[in-house]
Amino acid sequence: MTTGDVAIHVRDVSHQFGEPGDAQFVQALQHTSLDIARGELLCLIGPSGCGKSTLLNMIGGLLTPTTGTVEVSGKPVRGPLPHDIAFVFQENALFPWCTIIENVKLGMVFQGVPKAEQEPRARKALDAVGLKDFMGHYPAQLSGGMRQRAALARALSLETGTLLMDEPFGALDEQTRMILGEDLSVLLSTTGKTIVFVTHSLGEAVFLADRVAVFSARPGRIKEIIAVDEPHPRKPSFVTTEKFSRLRNTLYELLHEEIRKAVEQSATVVA
Amino acid sequence: MSVRRDRRDKIASLSVQVGFLVALVALWYLGTAYWGISRILLPNPVNVWAELKDILASGEYLPDLRVTLTELAAAFAISCTAGITLGFFISRSPYLIKVFEPLLAGFYSVPVILFLPLYVLFFGLGPGSKIALGTTISFFPIVLNTIAGFGYVDKIFITAARSMGASDFQMFRYVLLPAAFPVILTGLRMGFTVALLAILGSETIASLAGLGHRIVHLAEAMETARMFAYIAFVVVIAALLNTAMSTLERRAKRR
Amino acid sequence: MSEHLRLKRAFLRHPGLARLAVMIVLFALWEIVARVWIDPTFLSPPSRVLASLGDLFDTKGIPVALRITFWELAIAFAISVVIGLTVGLAVGLSRFSNRSLMPIILLLYGTPQITILPLFILYFGIGPPSKIAFGVSHGIFPIIVTIVAGVQNIKPILMTAAHSMGARRWQIFRWVIFPHMIPTFFAGMRLGMAGVLLGVLLAELYVSTAGIGYFTQLFTQAFEPTKLLGLVSVLAAMAIALNEIVRRAEVHFGRWRTD
Repeated sequence: MTTGDVAIHVRDVSHQFGEPGDAQFVQALQHTSLDIARGELLCLIGPSGCGKSTLLNMIGGLLTPTTGTVEVSGKPVRGPLPHDIAFVFQENALFPWCTIIENVKLGMVFQGVPKAEQEPRARKALDAVGLKDFMGHYPAQLSGGMRQRAALARALSLETGTLLMDEPFGALDEQTRMILGEDLSVLLSTTGKTIVFVTHSLGEAVFLADRVAVFSARPGRIKEIIAVDEPHPRKPSFVTTEKFSRLRNTLYELLHEEIRKAVEQSATVVA
Repeated sequence: MSVRRDRRDKIASLSVQVGFLVALVALWYLGTAYWGISRILLPNPVNVWAELKDILASGEYLPDLRVTLTELAAAFAISCTAGITLGFFISRSPYLIKVFEPLLAGFYSVPVILFLPLYVLFFGLGPGSKIALGTTISFFPIVLNTIAGFGYVDKIFITAARSMGASDFQMFRYVLLPAAFPVILTGLRMGFTVALLAILGSETIASLAGLGHRIVHLAEAMETARMFAYIAFVVVIAALLNTAMSTLERRAKRR
Repeated sequence: MSEHLRLKRAFLRHPGLARLAVMIVLFALWEIVARVWIDPTFLSPPSRVLASLGDLFDTKGIPVALRITFWELAIAFAISVVIGLTVGLAVGLSRFSNRSLMPIILLLYGTPQITILPLFILYFGIGPPSKIAFGVSHGIFPIIVTIVAGVQNIKPILMTAAHSMGARRWQIFRWVIFPHMIPTFFAGMRLGMAGVLLGVLLAELYVSTAGIGYFTQLFTQAFEPTKLLGLVSVLAAMAIALNEIVRRAEVHFGRWRTD
């Protein structure tokens, strides 16, 4: 990967909460370095508490790393970069008092998009995620899957080079996840954005990603990076191929012991 | 936020509170002792303290306290009995709940203090009117909470008990009562608090005895220092009674 | 189907109808009990009360007293809202203020203010200012507490999302905090109105030398239950109307809430 192709450059970052010796000290992420290519979709997968969301928040400027630096599109990240990075969160981050289209337009208000452009861009984004007929609805009137489509539309309408997604389908049932994953793959294949996607689901990671970074249990570090060499957009039938199974099994083997470790960690915390 | 910053904030906010109280008392003292605020409007805190000690030592407060507490006990006893009984019977039928709950809630939104002149006309200036008002005002939170407690027990518990062959009495004793208990207890606590306020209020407005009356009497006699002492006394008594009720509620809920 | 069954069906399907029926039954009971059982010195039937409302309003001083009471309520409410909103937002938005001032506010909220009513009269006199002051003193606390709670239950994820999209502090206030607070504000107003009603009416009833209190004492001592019931009913109607206005406003502006 030549330097010109690197969209996100993570250099030796780590993160801790509190000071060593405090009762609440936590080493969330050990020293980590990572390069993400322009237009690549990288998945971060790992057990609970392994620091994948921490890393995502550091890339996006929502969290300052204890050590190390992050560069996105050549710019150092010291806070949110709303023109370069857009987020999709797991929980419902849509404003409940706004309709769907008002939600999308509000994102552009924050970013600083001229008023005249807001309406057409919002409509285009909502159409792209399949919510053309629901623009005037309030989030409470829509299903979980539709709400996350709307959140995605809001992020897309900001027309950033990078998209950071923190378990966007985490709160949805298996079937909705499947459909949304397929639609997402189709949608993203046309945008050319650089995407970092945090997930718990092995199948989701293999289906969507170009590369999958597997995290160890806390204190987290990247254990291994697996490449998924398959053209975009991913066909639904990809899931049934032998290649898919093989990759999924590799992830499983890498993850299983880490998950066990994480569960033991949380059990002692509770006790 | 780091632990150290957290601890620093806690100390800082505590010092603001303490400082506020200290400044208040200091201003009060300076105002009356040195800045010439009329003794009648704002008595010297030293005098207030002296009056308070006198009241406590002489036991002057006893008859008034007895009157107030008796009125409170009577009012609360009546509203508890009536409220819980009526609440239980209404809760037995979803239809009755739908009819009566909004009615009762609506009634409660009228300031019940307006009933006081009517009660005074009917029962006179004695304890009767105070008990009547206290009962009226505390009846509502008790009955509404009883309806809520018994009426909205999760269907799943009733279904499970029925499937295991529970009789009506067993259902009441082992399912409905324990489920409703915390909610009813909250209602009792709320009822107690408003009953106390209603009784103090009615003693202030139209009475011949009781703690509320005593304060008014002293105000009219311009004995402001003694009045302040009684105000402090009543505030403390009210705080003690309410805390006792809250503690009872919490203790009972823990079982 | 017999008339009896049809009526029963109607009542079952429309609880509102049953409620109306209950009200009618209660009024009928009042009417009968007052006419037949109770000495007219102590209780008057609703029919007589209604009929004598005209006389009541003709009584010198009553319309004035009622009008003054109404304005006391309105002014006290307005002042309570302004103070309550300002203090509530200031305390709610600053974690430090919240921690240091909130316990003091809660302490004041919990004390029986009725005990210092004579003091209010002593300081502010027997006219409207003392009633307004006492009303404000009762109205601000529920508003402050409600607003603080409302600010505290803004979901942090919404603030994070706005921040991630580049919103500056004033934008977060205008587009996230402010719209979130609207239903809370109206809920606070509803409770504030209840407090103001209590405070103003308490003060009015206490002062027996002027205003409403003069007339309630007059009618009580002269054993005129008809006029007393009339006066109390008018005040109750005023209270219900004011409560209803605030409640309707709350329902209308809380549209986006589903809880």
